[in-house]
Amino acid sequence: MTMDLVEQMNEQEKRKYVKGKKLGEGTYANVYLGHARHDAGVLVAIKKIKVQKEYKDGLAPDAVRELKHLQELLGHPNIISLLSVFSSKDQNLNLVLEYLPLGDLEMLIRDVDRVRYGTADMKAWMGMLTRAVWFCHDNFVLHRDIKPNNLLIAANGEVKLADFGLARSFADPGTRMTANVITRWYRPPELLFGARHYSGAVDIWSVGLVFAELVLRAPFLPGNTEVDQINLICRQIGTPTEDNWPGVTQLKEYTVPSEVVPVWGKDAYMSRFGGAGSDGVDLLVRTLALDPKNRITAREMLEHRWWRTDPRPTRNEDLPRKSAGGEEKAAVDLSRRNGVVDDGARGTKVARKLDFGAAR
Amino acid sequence: MPVLTSDDMCPVCKMIRYLNKDMEFLINPECYHSMCSNCVNRLFNDGPNQCPYAGCHKTLRRKGFRSAFFGDLTVEREVDIRRRVAAVFNRVEDDFETLRDYNNYLQMVEDLTFDLVSGTDARRHDAEATLQQWEASHKAEIERNRKAGRDADEMTRRRVNAEREAARQRRVDALREAEDEKVERARSREAELDSLAQGAAPGGGDGQRVQLKRPGPAAGSSLASASFSSASGALADVGRLSIRGLKEKRKPAAAEGPYDPFGGMDFVPSRYRVREGLDHPWLNKYRLDRSYATGGYTFNEYTHRAMFEAFAGLGVFVDDEKEVGIGLSAREVATIGAGIAAVGDRMELD
Repeated sequence: MTMDLVEQMNEQEKRKYVKGKKLGEGTYANVYLGHARHDAGVLVAIKKIKVQKEYKDGLAPDAVRELKHLQELLGHPNIISLLSVFSSKDQNLNLVLEYLPLGDLEMLIRDVDRVRYGTADMKAWMGMLTRAVWFCHDNFVLHRDIKPNNLLIAANGEVKLADFGLARSFADPGTRMTANVITRWYRPPELLFGARHYSGAVDIWSVGLVFAELVLRAPFLPGNTEVDQINLICRQIGTPTEDNWPGVTQLKEYTVPSEVVPVWGKDAYMSRFGGAGSDGVDLLVRTLALDPKNRITAREMLEHRWWRTDPRPTRNEDLPRKSAGGEEKAAVDLSRRNGVVDDGARGTKVARKLDFGAAR
Repeated sequence: MPVLTSDDMCPVCKMIRYLNKDMEFLINPECYHSMCSNCVNRLFNDGPNQCPYAGCHKTLRRKGFRSAFFGDLTVEREVDIRRRVAAVFNRVEDDFETLRDYNNYLQMVEDLTFDLVSGTDARRHDAEATLQQWEASHKAEIERNRKAGRDADEMTRRRVNAEREAARQRRVDALREAEDEKVERARSREAELDSLAQGAAPGGGDGQRVQLKRPGPAAGSSLASASFSSASGALADVGRLSIRGLKEKRKPAAAEGPYDPFGGMDFVPSRYRVREGLDHPWLNKYRLDRSYATGGYTFNEYTHRAMFEAFAGLGVFVDDEKEVGIGLSAREVATIGAGIAAVGDRMELD
């Protein structure tokens, strides 16, 4: 049987990997453990995108987003690397990703009893996360779904940003982006207010909330609905007004509780987030600025003095880790639909289903 | 007339089992030629002698003779060789950095064994030389591994014994508990009868009866906890077992410089410089739109990207970087990229 060149190349790529047992199944993809054919020691995760009914005449947008941006972001140690892509029978798309066996950051945060970590560990994790976001933004990619369970942990302790199913590149002026991205708890106020022109600042807000969650060991702003989320932001951070965010009242979905709370200063945070140290709290406050124009950028975050003050960030091999259960968890993380809070573990109220068909 | 097999007749003295019920065959691992014990005594009593088989010129000693374990002497020989090789090449998986190394090692050992067992004379000779040389040069290591292996065996044996002992203890405990319960039940019944005989209301016994039901699950839980503790004990043993033979952890002793928050990376464009305040009439149209500023959209980022894209690909020669990333060749990346670009236009909308 003769195959055309593309089929031959695909076949050749497919032959490089051996698909092993299924690690997890999600609505959007199945994840299999696999290894390279030439060396059984090289483990990979093979994410097989399911054929979705809504998208008969092409790939699902999540798959396209993930593929498109992961291949552009190759080569950073803090971003999950895409090793290969091939299609199997019935035109199923298979992404070969590096295998990250130690679960995700959420597991470590939640396991209050068994996992203990200190400022140095948080600094190391935040450093890796911030570098990943910086790399994305410097390559003009918005991740748009940063949260602890998208931060997977490699065998050497390195944190890797995964799940680019909601990513997109920076928009040109004149194009509108959807405001319906980022898992609710980590969604910044400008998206909650329906802004259609935004920038990397949306990811920075999420980074700030991951930081807060690391310190508190519980989600900082766990809103049940979007209205609730706005209320929480107003109460915990401050009410967005024309004074602290010029033009905010003009945003399409701007609604705030009638009781105006002034923006909290650094002192107010010190009592809750003292664990990060004074400089850490300073950084946190800057990431949680209401007005995206005033929010710190990823590069500025890395230039912050917190990284240079004591304690020094922990080395990767000394970071706290959990050995058991990472495999299944990583598989769940990879196969989850994007932008949704995990139902089982984190309450039944989930973000509204993302419908890209309607947003178009 | 029954056929005489080699089991029934000594190939040297032609003695048959019919005449000597206790006939026993012995072999010498020098040449694996079998003969009856009488022949061995007769031929080798006065010191070393040549093998009586025609054409076999091996010198044998009486001490080397033993009875064969397998009926098939080729199997006997192979097992002996394997035992000998295994005693010399006694590495375990833990000694190796990767599974692949270990598998390569096993392959090497198996090749050598095969040469010894069924190779041509030359190959057998070579293999023999290799084996002896290895044995001579790695004596200490071999001895250490053998000892480690013995220790491991001992550990396993002890663990199995401990487990068996724990299981026995559990059974005894359970039996005793059942016994106790029975006694208790009888006693309470008696007490109840007594109280009834004394004319007290039977209500008092209720609480007692309820209480009596409890030992069941309690016994179960104690059993469970016992099994758990023994299991965890076993686990600890296993843990200790696997630590043995691990490669020493080599800590990088390199003196660390100050922490670099950027991880040693910097992406300053080398071919162009973006000046602040780049202006373009087309952009100004959007600059005036308040909703851009409010949502946090930065035109700076746009000019950066426009510049980047204008220069992207300059000075890149596909031939020079055939291998991009780990699995994707440059050509494939281009193909995939083109495919995505075709779909991309539609996806850009949100």
